[in-house]
Amino acid sequence: MAVDKPPQLVKDYWRLYRRRSLFFVVAMQIIATLVIVIALMLTGIVDPTTMIFWIIITAIAATAVGINILVFSVLSEPLQMLSHALAHAAGESTTTTPPNPNIRRFEKSGFKPLLQTIYELGGHQPDQAAVATVEKSLPFESILNTTPTGIVFLKEGTVIYANKSAPVHLDSDGGLQLDIITDVDQSIPDWIAECEEHAVNATKTWRRVANKLVGEDERRIYDMTASYQKGSEVDVVLALVERTDEYLPEDNDLDFISFAAHELRGPITVIRGYLDTLGDELADRFADDEQELFNRLVVSANRLSGYVNNILNAAKYDRRHLTVHLHEESVADIYDAIKDDMQLRAVAQNRLLAVSFPADLPAVAADKAAIGEVLGNLIDNAIKYSNDGGSVTVSAQVAQNDVEISVSDQGIGMPGNVVSNLFHKFYRSHRSRETVAGTGIGLYICKAMVESHGGTISVKSVEGQGSTFSFTLPIYATVAEKLKAGDNTTEGLIQHHDGWIKNHGSMRG
Amino acid sequence: MAIKTILCIEDDRFIGEMYVRSLKKAGYEVDWVVDGNDGLIAARNKSYDVMLLDVMLPERRGTEILEALRGGKKDLIPNTKVVILTNFDQNDESRLAMQHNAQAYLIKAEITPKKLLSLIKQLDSDDA
Repeated sequence: MAVDKPPQLVKDYWRLYRRRSLFFVVAMQIIATLVIVIALMLTGIVDPTTMIFWIIITAIAATAVGINILVFSVLSEPLQMLSHALAHAAGESTTTTPPNPNIRRFEKSGFKPLLQTIYELGGHQPDQAAVATVEKSLPFESILNTTPTGIVFLKEGTVIYANKSAPVHLDSDGGLQLDIITDVDQSIPDWIAECEEHAVNATKTWRRVANKLVGEDERRIYDMTASYQKGSEVDVVLALVERTDEYLPEDNDLDFISFAAHELRGPITVIRGYLDTLGDELADRFADDEQELFNRLVVSANRLSGYVNNILNAAKYDRRHLTVHLHEESVADIYDAIKDDMQLRAVAQNRLLAVSFPADLPAVAADKAAIGEVLGNLIDNAIKYSNDGGSVTVSAQVAQNDVEISVSDQGIGMPGNVVSNLFHKFYRSHRSRETVAGTGIGLYICKAMVESHGGTISVKSVEGQGSTFSFTLPIYATVAEKLKAGDNTTEGLIQHHDGWIKNHGSMRG
Repeated sequence: MAIKTILCIEDDRFIGEMYVRSLKKAGYEVDWVVDGNDGLIAARNKSYDVMLLDVMLPERRGTEILEALRGGKKDLIPNTKVVILTNFDQNDESRLAMQHNAQAYLIKAEITPKKLLSLIKQLDSDDA
């Protein structure tokens, strides 16, 4: 009999236990009745041949069985509830409703904490479990459409369900397409591919992802959490909490500042122009520390110009108006264009800037002006975040099909939690907010520009010892064919990223 | 043919003066006009070796001047090298259209007079 077999699943236990117990109760009642009948017959108190005797005996036996079953049910209810709760906590699929710890009689009897403990141990909230078990009986679609949180189910990378609040559109084939721009973060398909390779279940949160580009109508900004479960009916569930009100003001600020920044370029043109001219014309007439003070003017004007460029480039990137035009360039030539400026900045702030590139370094595919700005930003940061008298080292080496360029300092460094957010727009570490001026868009635009070349940017940092920022650029020979086919844009070169830079002055500066 | 004559169409007085001063010092003959209409007339009346063209101009924008001079079937300034100088990045479309009809497209804030001189020398040597 099945009763004798040990239960294999938690949910089976209660059924087997109940059956066995009831069988036991009824059997015991029958035995007890028989004992009484025999005793009555032997003592001769009643006459067993009369009909009334058997009717009374049967009635007593039936009533006793009924009462015993009732008593059993009442007394064993906690066990029943615990079994159900355990089955849910264990994650077994079951048709029972998980007991609600908030029922008044459970509260009164003190049973509530037991259930709560089980749910906490199992990590399953009873409400969630309840949803999972009654899914067939509730009109889920209409319920999910009432929440302002966007819910999206993905199966093998395809959207199979999206509620009303989710940012999706119908494509020409009638399929649902997710409208989410992950910017400098890992894209959703990349993350799913990584999960498929390495994880059974995983979650990831993206902050500040938008459905549309800056400047487009009905733009909404979300914090998005994705959960992945291998082999589940839906691989990925996305939950998008709208935070437009919180994030939009900063984007609008940048938009306005970029508008105003164009105006700044007029005076900057004149300041930089005359500083450059007068630097030569006055060189012989400078006395004492005048040359050094003049150099500070030059450094400050160049910095100002660089910051304005960062703002304009970030605003352009946000609208995807930034493209790069890649040409065969040597790393040394790219650096040469900003060399005087960088050396002057280092000297003016008492830093030693050591730059050396191997003579046999292959040519890279790069937009000279864009990579000049990336390098300028990284060197400027290294100067800013290092100590007086410290050194900044710029080097390059071949790494497979890329050239890796590194900028190192022996400065203040950063803790790990700062590093992970470093390339996000407007991000400033708590400490740098207090000690060093900045906008939090320099590294954001660096990452965008490097990735628009098909490269990657990364940072290694030890607090108190310094940081090394490295970025890669494709070796020209490895991408020459693709570039020629694509008119020197990165079309076809970068296929994994959903938002690369589209425009950049190819003959600037 | 060595570059000698330069037309500068620039409405910002400080910027215009700055470029003109350096170019004259370097020995070029420079004519400077401050609005788009005068710029177009000047370009039609005399053949310059180089035209420095601002984009945001009163009366007639730089894009329109370039279109009037080079947009038709006949190039009206076949012997002139056009250098576009702007501080307002154009969108891709109009910038590409201008680049198509010009030898260089530069951001003014990045171009000091010294760099402008070396660029003009480079245009000269490209031609030689």
